[in-house]
Amino acid sequence: MDANPIPSTAIEKEDKKILQSIGLSYRFPNASKFTFTDINLKAYKDQLVAIVGPTGTGKSTLLRNLAYLIPPTSGTVLLEGKPVTKPSSRISLVHQSIATFPWMTALENVKLSLKGKMDNEQATKNAQKMLDLVGLRGVEDNYPKEMSGGMRQRVAIARSLVASPSVLLMDEPFVHLDELTATKLRDEIYKIVFNPRNTLKAAILVSHNLHEVVHLADYVYVMNGSPATVIDTFKIDLPRPRSERTSNFYDYIDRIMKGLDVTPQKA
Amino acid sequence: MDISIIALATLATVLRILALIAVSIVLGWGLAYLSIKSRTFENAYIPLVNAFESIPVIGFLPIVLVAFISGVGGPLGVELAADFLVFDAVVWNIWIGIYQAFKTVPEPLLEVADNYKFGIWRRLKDLYIPHSLPRITSNLFSSFADGLFYISVSEIFTVGVKTYQTFGIGTTIAVFLQQGNLLGVYYSLAFVAAAVIIVTLTFSRLSKRAIAKYGLNTDLPIRRYHSTIRKYIYSTWRNMSRENIVSRFGSRFRNKKRVRYSEREQEPNYLGAVLKYSVYFLLAVIAVYLLFWVYATVTSVSGSEWSSFFSETPFLIYAMGVDYLRVAVIALASAFLAITLGYYLAVHKKASTMLTPIIQIIGAFPAPTYFPLIFIATLPFLASALPFEYTEVYIFILGFLSCFYYVLFDFWIGVQAIPSEFWEVMRNHELGFFTRMRYIILPAAFPYLITGLSSTINSAWAGIAIAEYWPNIYGTHSLIANIGMMKFISVNLAEGNIAAAAYISLIFAVVVIIYGLLFTRSLMDLARKKYVVEEGIYAG
Repeated sequence: MDANPIPSTAIEKEDKKILQSIGLSYRFPNASKFTFTDINLKAYKDQLVAIVGPTGTGKSTLLRNLAYLIPPTSGTVLLEGKPVTKPSSRISLVHQSIATFPWMTALENVKLSLKGKMDNEQATKNAQKMLDLVGLRGVEDNYPKEMSGGMRQRVAIARSLVASPSVLLMDEPFVHLDELTATKLRDEIYKIVFNPRNTLKAAILVSHNLHEVVHLADYVYVMNGSPATVIDTFKIDLPRPRSERTSNFYDYIDRIMKGLDVTPQKA
Repeated sequence: MDISIIALATLATVLRILALIAVSIVLGWGLAYLSIKSRTFENAYIPLVNAFESIPVIGFLPIVLVAFISGVGGPLGVELAADFLVFDAVVWNIWIGIYQAFKTVPEPLLEVADNYKFGIWRRLKDLYIPHSLPRITSNLFSSFADGLFYISVSEIFTVGVKTYQTFGIGTTIAVFLQQGNLLGVYYSLAFVAAAVIIVTLTFSRLSKRAIAKYGLNTDLPIRRYHSTIRKYIYSTWRNMSRENIVSRFGSRFRNKKRVRYSEREQEPNYLGAVLKYSVYFLLAVIAVYLLFWVYATVTSVSGSEWSSFFSETPFLIYAMGVDYLRVAVIALASAFLAITLGYYLAVHKKASTMLTPIIQIIGAFPAPTYFPLIFIATLPFLASALPFEYTEVYIFILGFLSCFYYVLFDFWIGVQAIPSEFWEVMRNHELGFFTRMRYIILPAAFPYLITGLSSTINSAWAGIAIAEYWPNIYGTHSLIANIGMMKFISVNLAEGNIAAAAYISLIFAVVVIIYGLLFTRSLMDLARKKYVVEEGIYAG
């Protein structure tokens, strides 16, 4: 185990560190013990970092600590070297339960992030651009209830991206989608996230689905224990676009499972 | 002044209201059951309840006078009249709440009841009634507040030269005020305050317990009793409701002995028919009785009097317009307070823990009981500062105190019901207060806001009805509006012109029902179609 898990290489220079947590710990109000302690996490430029761990290790809470939607009990979050002290649209969260406002059309949902930050015409242009990026051209005027779960999650992603964030946090974004929709969106998400048409520099994904994690992530942090800590890290060194048919794909899954202390099931 | 009389009068009033709430609940179970079993009955019952709910208690006063004071007569007639008015104040939201609860019993639970061939009695006892308890207990507070609000109207009223009164704290306070006995008023208010606090806290505990035990998917823990006596009562109740399928849904499938028991013990279905036709019969008797007295009243009025009523109708409509303006101002002020204070309470847990019981107690405390004290204290100042408008100020104050908390509590509950994900989106995207309000909070809480505003408007009518005509509010002082439909009803009643009061009440009822159908219902439909906050979270 490495206390400072991400090795410093020529590519991963300190000046490319986008989001970093130092000694992050969290205890719920009135709880007797910490949910997790001493989380040191780094997300470098153009990297997708995944966090995995059993239920109850506080992965979703950790994401909210990183976005400062829930302030950590102790520790620091740095965004491009500067401390984060309040929620900001520069660190944008996509929820597990897909959250769209039912009284707003797809376009209005996306424009919401821009209210008060630019004039309406410019906001409409930017929102339309993001809806194009997530593949929702032509359904701008549809209400959420007229859309599938996959389309709604695209609206939520577009709403996050249009706010010009540097970091996108995704809390099990595909868990409520059917497998076909999830697979399709999973295939597209990396292209969407690291598309030059948006401002993102890094993304962090929480997931229980190890196939998803190996499919998408550059680095994986494994959390376990009580209170939880980072017990292992992996660098996923597979070429993109990735396929489950690649021979090493299941090696990574087995290694992460071993880290989680879960016996892999034979196919 | 005898303190024990004040205590007894408070007890009489509180027991009268609680007993009538109990009657409302029992009748509500029967009527709601009929509604879910008979579409014809439902189609008549729900619009009628909605219509009656929107008519302020004072609108029923002419019917009460005709049916009970003239019809039954004597002390029993006065007591029945008071009971009817309190019943009218407490019953509607309880009946609607029970109906909604019966309509929303989860399908799997109904299937369990079908599987075990439950008869009407077991369906009610083990399924419908337990499922309705959270809604009933949450409505108890507002029903009690409504019932208490009318004590100054229901327990004592004057028709012509005769004053009718029944024993209660409303009558006691009115007598003290007429005598100028302020100390008596203070003592009475102290007893009312104590009763309000005790009842409010009891209802609050009952509501939490009912939600914890009978609510579906609730996070509230079920609290268990510890003291010996309470344990005994609790165990007796548990034994009585041992087969409660709402709380024991899961164990049904595991416990074969109980399954056999439940299969063996089937209720005969004719009980349902007996209940159904008993209620129909009771309703028919009431309708015939009322129709008879309406007929007697109509025929007792000469043709020339009727034509005089008709000729005054345009002026009455104008007076009603003035009243609507008053109600609109009160409703707007209440909505403003609700949106600001309700939002503050919803986002500041510490403040809400501290302020909630205080606001609840202020809400339940009947404004007409302490309003004369506000009147006495402020009259010299207001009458000189606003010599022409001060009556309007008092009408506004009493109207506002009568109703502001409905929309406040509803909006507050609506804001609390906004999913945590929405709050995170607002904070994550650094949305300002007005953007949050306009685009998220007001739309999300819209259904609650409409429900609260509807109750607020109904209660505002009650407040202005009392404030527009209050002779001898304190000693020789009176509060009388220049113009207003509520004033005309009260003046005609006071002068013994029951037919005229009934005619004005009828016009009022028709307009209120049309308003309810056109305005309230269309807004509620909009809320149900577009502003359903639960649809904003997709967790397929």
